Amino acid sequence: MSAHQLTIEPLGEEIEVAEGQTILDACLRAGVYLPHACGHGLCGTCKTQVLDGEIDHGEASSFALMDFERDEGFVLACTATIKSDVTIEADVEEDPDARKISVRDFVGEVVALENLTGDVKGVRLALRDGPIDFQAGQYVNLLLPGIAASRAFSIANAPSDAGHVELQIRRVPGGAATGYVHESLKVGDRLTLTGPQGRFIVRKSRGGPLLFLAGGTGVSSPRSMILDLLEEGYAEPITLVHGVRTQADLYGREEFEALARSHMNFRYAPALSHEPDDSEWRGERGFVHDVARKLFEGVFEGSTAYLCGPPPMIEACIATLMQGRLFEKHIFTERFFTAKDCAEKPKSPVFRRL
Amino acid sequence: MTAKKLGLKQRYAHMTRGLDWETSYQPMDKVFPYDTFEGIKIKDWSAWEDPFRLTMDAYWKFQAEKERKLYAVIDAFAQNNGQTGVTDGRYANVLKLFLTGISPEEYQAHRGFAYAGRHLRGVGPRVAAQMQSLDELRHIQTQIHTISHYNKYFDGLAEFPHMHDRVWYLSVPKSFFDDARSAGPFEFMIAIGFAFEYVLTNLLFVPFMSGAAYNGDMSTVTFGFSAQSDESRHMTLGIEVIKFLLEQHPDNLPIVQKWVDKWFWRGHRVLGLVAMMMDYMLPKPVMSWKEAWEIYFTEAGGALFQDLARYGLRPPKYADIATAEAEHISHQNWAIFYQYTHAAAFHTWLPDAKHMDWLSEKYPNTFDKYYRPRFEMWGQMAKEGKRFYNMALPQLCQTCQIPMGYTEPGDPTTICFRKTQFRGETYHFCSDGCKDIFEAEPEKFAQAWLPVHQIFQGNCGGATIPDVLNYYRMNVGADNMDYVGSPDEKLWNEWQADKIRTAV
Repeated sequence: MSAHQLTIEPLGEEIEVAEGQTILDACLRAGVYLPHACGHGLCGTCKTQVLDGEIDHGEASSFALMDFERDEGFVLACTATIKSDVTIEADVEEDPDARKISVRDFVGEVVALENLTGDVKGVRLALRDGPIDFQAGQYVNLLLPGIAASRAFSIANAPSDAGHVELQIRRVPGGAATGYVHESLKVGDRLTLTGPQGRFIVRKSRGGPLLFLAGGTGVSSPRSMILDLLEEGYAEPITLVHGVRTQADLYGREEFEALARSHMNFRYAPALSHEPDDSEWRGERGFVHDVARKLFEGVFEGSTAYLCGPPPMIEACIATLMQGRLFEKHIFTERFFTAKDCAEKPKSPVFRRL
Repeated sequence: MTAKKLGLKQRYAHMTRGLDWETSYQPMDKVFPYDTFEGIKIKDWSAWEDPFRLTMDAYWKFQAEKERKLYAVIDAFAQNNGQTGVTDGRYANVLKLFLTGISPEEYQAHRGFAYAGRHLRGVGPRVAAQMQSLDELRHIQTQIHTISHYNKYFDGLAEFPHMHDRVWYLSVPKSFFDDARSAGPFEFMIAIGFAFEYVLTNLLFVPFMSGAAYNGDMSTVTFGFSAQSDESRHMTLGIEVIKFLLEQHPDNLPIVQKWVDKWFWRGHRVLGLVAMMMDYMLPKPVMSWKEAWEIYFTEAGGALFQDLARYGLRPPKYADIATAEAEHISHQNWAIFYQYTHAAAFHTWLPDAKHMDWLSEKYPNTFDKYYRPRFEMWGQMAKEGKRFYNMALPQLCQTCQIPMGYTEPGDPTTICFRKTQFRGETYHFCSDGCKDIFEAEPEKFAQAWLPVHQIFQGNCGGATIPDVLNYYRMNVGADNMDYVGSPDEKLWNEWQADKIRTAV
């Protein structure tokens, strides 16, 4: 089984494609959305230009992909497989805010471990072979001793602190990797990480008010983003709603409250969904989307929203934002395509990214 | 340093920008008089995202090559006498239903998209609607050409445009499109672009094309392939339209919801003809209507409306009733056509024992209990020389124009009747869905051209059934009545005998 390299222009993104894997499948799994519909070579929605390299058209219908188009180098991404390293030009928009930073391996030494809550561990790694260049919101893949596959964790510190990588790792019940972090990881341990990865970044060029909706450890990316924005002097309003179950699950509060005091444009709203009614908590109660709706009186038009957290929270927030007139173009979420996502029940083509 | 290469979207924008302009010697509202009265508010036409970036030049090139391929297959089919290789002579009746009931609607869609392509103010949707208008015109042409080969041999195909305008049951699809085409441009786009071309299209297209494939009709299959790449473009247009309207202004949501409710129910009623075709008319069935409904509406439509719920749009009203009806509708429709076979432009027959077993298997909840006994009784009557014909003219639903033969939701032994008053007259309906649609626009639907009313008013050639069939240009005994004993059957049997002789 040999793999080939697929370069996706205009993004310049390079991904590995396995023998027999279609271009569409490879792109979707890498988080690059290509328009598609029928999925088996009949409709032509996923037509894509090959700039370089050898491909096999597979079962592309001769009515969906014409001979003259084949001569011009077009393929149907849903049926085409690649026979060499290939470059395609996809119908994707170039993102003016995304920098091209090449991914590389780093060695990080654990310099601090902190129990942020009962089940969230803060891990601070000092990079021993040079600083990491990354955009706030990106993640790294972390290799742990005795665990075969790497695990993805968002970077919680600002890019200005390039000599370190801070991670906030919740213990997944029964999870081998997070179990290791919580039980066995010690200060002084050295770990290998690969990064930076991902396209969940702040679209600074758009300007305007920003809304961060985070659930649980989903706050790590927004923390990096907000620290970065405030350091740069971003002047537009920034709101963070951080949802957790109870006060015991809340962390980072002192830091965000201090930032809110020192920056007029930053508003911090921790939201507790399962805090006992009779507790002394004076802050917001309810789910993230409910609190966001209340704070914004249901109207989000004009903002850009960044969502990070468990899928039900993301889904509820998307519906709330859309009913508050904020649509797909202005909503960004952290989303990974896995084999499971592709095999799920029929998905409608209404939304591309969300 | 060379200039940075443009992305596809930017290149398309450069190629197409400036094709539209603000008029100066006439106000824009006079140039586009129809895009405001429906209440739809558009704040920014430029927010329209072209769902496909196709230039006219590429469009011509693309369609020309598709035509060349399709006509090569049609020619080969004719030269090889492909008509003798289908599964059974009965199959031709599927094509008769398609050519009289569906193809003329492609033409209506062509006209409707030409209207939307003229009257929408934004240049993006206008260009997309114009391209779809051309597609639809091409579709009816290729359908006529594909099926014309069968017209050399089989009855019931020759007068299809004439029949479409006059025959009682063809007023069902005709009035559906008349309704859409006499609406405003936005309602047309939701009615046909979204509800029909997106939500329901697979329930129309897949049954006919897979039916053709299963039954050896390669020319129709090829037509299907040649249309499919257009259909995917139409589907993306339908999705873009509904997103655009919902994102442009909150006041659009209730209007769009009303249209989605209306056009889902209207489309579902029209598709009853397809249900009957799938379950009763294909000599070799592909899947049952109920199965198709589950795949294409319950699952795919479910995913669609789950996503659209984010906008606050709910699934179409009465979708649950339509899903429950999927157990009944094909059986009830075929029963209507069997008893009115003298006035249908295709042949009917009773399902044979093997076919009834297939129906029992596909409809374990309903077929044996409610429908098999009726077909067996009619079979017995025919054997005794008392073949059942219904000689009374049926009452029609004022909205969908289907004879009032459907049953109450949840009670398949009681006929469903609904009525309402408007300007001192009583109007009758087959369902709550059709009654609601009337009550929302009574002035429009009170004007419906109902075939039975027209016959009674003396507008359809005369007072007797032969007069009316003559007005329909129906060749009695050849175009209509039972398949068994028809000239079609005789011809088919001769072909089969020839094949056996040649083989020996």
